[in-house]
Amino acid sequence: MVRFRGRTAAAAAVVAAALVLTVKGQTPAPSLHIENIGLSAVEENTAIWSEARPGGRVDALKRAARETAARNSRVGASGRSYTPGRVIVRFHDEVPAAERRTVARLASDTADIAARPSYADFDIVRIDVNEDAEAVAAALAARPQVVYAQPAYHMHATMVPNDPNYATLQWNLPLVDLERAWDIQPAGASTVTVAVLDTGMAYRSLTITVNIPGFRNAGINYPALGPSVVPYAAAPQLVGVNGANASRIVAPFDIISNGVVPPLDFEGHGTHVSGTIGQLTNDNIGEAGVAFNVKLMPVKVLASFWDVIFGNAPFEGGSDDDVARGIRYAADNGAKVINMSLGSSGPPDCATNPNRDGCSPTIEAAVRYAVGKGAFVVVAGGNEFEDVDPDFGPNPTSILAEIASRINGAVSVAAVDPQKNRAFYSSTGSYIELAAPGGTSRGFGRGGFIFQQTFDFTFTDTFDPTVVPPSQYRAPRFDVLANIGIIGTSMATPHVSGIAAMLVQQGITDPAAIEDALEKSAVDIGTPGRDNSFGFGLVDARNALRGLGLSR
Amino acid sequence: MKSAMAAAIVIACASAAPALAQDDPSIAIRPFVFGSVQSFTAIDTFDAVFGRAYDPFYGGGVQAVFDGKFFVELSASRFRQTGQRAFISGGQKFRLGIPLTATIVPFEVTGGYRFHFSPRVRPYVAAGVGSYRYKETSTFNDPSEDVDVRHAGFVVNGGAEFRAHRWVGIGADIEYSHIPGILGSGGVSLQAGEKDLGGVSARLKLIVGR
Repeated sequence: MVRFRGRTAAAAAVVAAALVLTVKGQTPAPSLHIENIGLSAVEENTAIWSEARPGGRVDALKRAARETAARNSRVGASGRSYTPGRVIVRFHDEVPAAERRTVARLASDTADIAARPSYADFDIVRIDVNEDAEAVAAALAARPQVVYAQPAYHMHATMVPNDPNYATLQWNLPLVDLERAWDIQPAGASTVTVAVLDTGMAYRSLTITVNIPGFRNAGINYPALGPSVVPYAAAPQLVGVNGANASRIVAPFDIISNGVVPPLDFEGHGTHVSGTIGQLTNDNIGEAGVAFNVKLMPVKVLASFWDVIFGNAPFEGGSDDDVARGIRYAADNGAKVINMSLGSSGPPDCATNPNRDGCSPTIEAAVRYAVGKGAFVVVAGGNEFEDVDPDFGPNPTSILAEIASRINGAVSVAAVDPQKNRAFYSSTGSYIELAAPGGTSRGFGRGGFIFQQTFDFTFTDTFDPTVVPPSQYRAPRFDVLANIGIIGTSMATPHVSGIAAMLVQQGITDPAAIEDALEKSAVDIGTPGRDNSFGFGLVDARNALRGLGLSR
Repeated sequence: MKSAMAAAIVIACASAAPALAQDDPSIAIRPFVFGSVQSFTAIDTFDAVFGRAYDPFYGGGVQAVFDGKFFVELSASRFRQTGQRAFISGGQKFRLGIPLTATIVPFEVTGGYRFHFSPRVRPYVAAGVGSYRYKETSTFNDPSEDVDVRHAGFVVNGGAEFRAHRWVGIGADIEYSHIPGILGSGGVSLQAGEKDLGGVSARLKLIVGR
C-alpha cells in the first residue's frame, strides 16, 4: 500500500506564525465529550509513507544495572570481562572429589569447589573475588587432572530487535549505532522521563462524541456532520496491547486547553515522534524505538486541524506562550529530556536583539528555566532549506533551534538521509549543533523515510481532498494505526532525545554535560569540524554511552 | 604480595643487627622487591576513571653497588586497576558503569649515589630512564579499541636505605616520574588536558645483600 499526501514536505509544525486554517461556516463546538471507554486500536501491518506529513515490551532482555555491572565485572589481561570470584573447571572424570579440591588449592589458596550446577559437566571453583581469575584458570589448566579451566567470561546479547520492520525499514537506528548502544544499556532508559511537546499522543483509548460543524478547506465546502462519534485508540506500540504498558505515560497535559481535555493527538505527528523516542521494541511487532523503555510525558502544545474543528483550539499549530508553558510544565513535572519537534522561522539576530520582532524571548526564558531544572532540551533544526520566507529570505533561521544553540543543555538537530547526506529540506546555519536521521523522499523510495506507528492518515485526514475525495468526506477515525513513514527534522530530533535519555540513565545527568557528550561523541560528517549543515556531526549512540577511557 | 612484603620487613626489623656496613664490597649485587603508592600527575584523569588519583605499584629489581657508593638499578613493576569508563564536562566527572582495566608496566634503569653519613642509614639519590608499557581494555570494546602502547620517560628519586641486618636493608624513597606520549591525545585525559602518565610515588624497598 503506497500513499502520498499532497501538502509540501514540512516536518516541523509551525509555532508562532501559526498556520491559520480556512475554517468558515459554523462556530466550532466548544468542547469534546469524552468517555473513558474505547476499543483497542486496529493495527495495520502495512507500511505507509508520506512526504506530506508535518512533521514490546522487552522480555527480560538484560538487567545489569551499571553500578552492579561494574562491581560484578573484571577485565582480564585478555581484554575480556569476567565475573570475579569463580573459575570454570572441567576435571577428567576419573579424578576423585578430594583430589579435585587439592588441585584447586594448588592453583589458589582460597579455592574451593562449589556444588556442581545443574546442566553442567564442569565444576565451579570459587576463589577470592580479588584474585586474578585468568591466572588461576591458567594454573588449573596446567594440571594433568584438568581438561580445561577458564574464567566465567561475560556474554551479552547483541541486541537486534525482532520487530519485523526494524530489519526492513529502520535504516535510521543502525545509522546511529543503536544496536551496540543497546548492548551497553539494555534497560532502554527505563527510569528516565522524556516530555514530548507536540500535537499530543495516542496514549488512551476513548470514545469521543463531538459536534462537527461545516467548514471550508482547500477551496471546498465540507458539510456539517453534526454530533458524531469519533473512535480513538491508544497506540499499542506506545502503551502496549490493551494498555499493558500504560504506566510508562507520565503526567500527560494539554497546554492549549489548560488541562480541560487530555492531550490526545488528532494529527499523528506527536505519536510518531514518541514512537521514535520510545516505541516498544523486541516484541515482534512493527518498529523499534530508541530508548524503548523510557517514560513518556505527552505535553500538547500544537493543535491540529481537527482540534480546530472540534473547538479545542482557535487555530492550527501553537504559539510561543503555549510552547513556553509546555516547557516549564515538563521541567516542573520531572522530565529529564524535552523533545520539541517544532519550530518557526525568524530573524537571524535574536541573540543580539532578543526583543526585536520575530524573536521569542519567552521561549528562550523557558528553555533556560528547564535546563536550570536539569532537563535537556532537544529542538528540531528546521525544514526550510529550500524555502524562501517573505520576511527572512531563503533558508531562514529556525528561531527555536537558534535559541537552543545558545544554551548549554539544549541542542538543535539537523536531518540526514540514509547515506548521511544532509536531507534536502534540512535548514543550515551556525545554530545547527547535531545531525540525526530525518529521512528523505528523494532517491530512496520508501527506504528513505522514518517509520513508526501512528494513525493511518487515510482514516484521519478526511478533510484533505488529496487523501479522501470530498464526496467521501466523513468523520475521522483515530483508532486505526499503521506503520507510517514521515520525513523531517521533527523525525531527527527524537533520535537525539532517545539517546539523551539513555545517557541520563547511564549516569550523565547534567544537561550541559549531556550536550557536551553528544557533541564530542558525534561522528564528524561533511566539512571537517563543526559545520552549518551537520553541526558537530551525526549523533552516535554507542560512542555517547560508552564514554571515554583514560587514553582513548 | 602486600602481606609477604610486610612479613619480610617485620622479620628483617626484628632481627636487626648492629651496623655492619663499614666493609662495603667493591661490587655488591642486591636484588630487591618493592611496593609503592603513586600519586598520579593526571589527577582528573585517574580520578574520573578510578575514583582516586593514587594507587599501588608492586615490583622488584636488582642493584649493582660499587664500593658502597655508586649504584645502578634495574627494576620492573606493575600497576593494574579496574575502574569505569567516564566523561568529564565542565569540571564534573561522570562514571558510566562500564568496566575499564588499565595496566602500567614500567621498566626503569637508574644510576645513583649513596651517601655515607651514618653506618646504618645511607641516603641516596638517583636518576634514570624508563620504558613504560600501557594497556587499556574495556567491556564492550572492539579489539581495535584496546590500547597497548609503550613510551619512554624519565625518573628521579631520593631516599635512604636503613640497614636492618647484615644482609637485609630497607629503602624508603620518593620517586618522581614523567611519562609523556601516552595520555593527552584521547579519552578523558584529553578532556582533562593531562598528558603525563607519571607521578610522585612513595616506595618501600626490601633489599637483600650487603
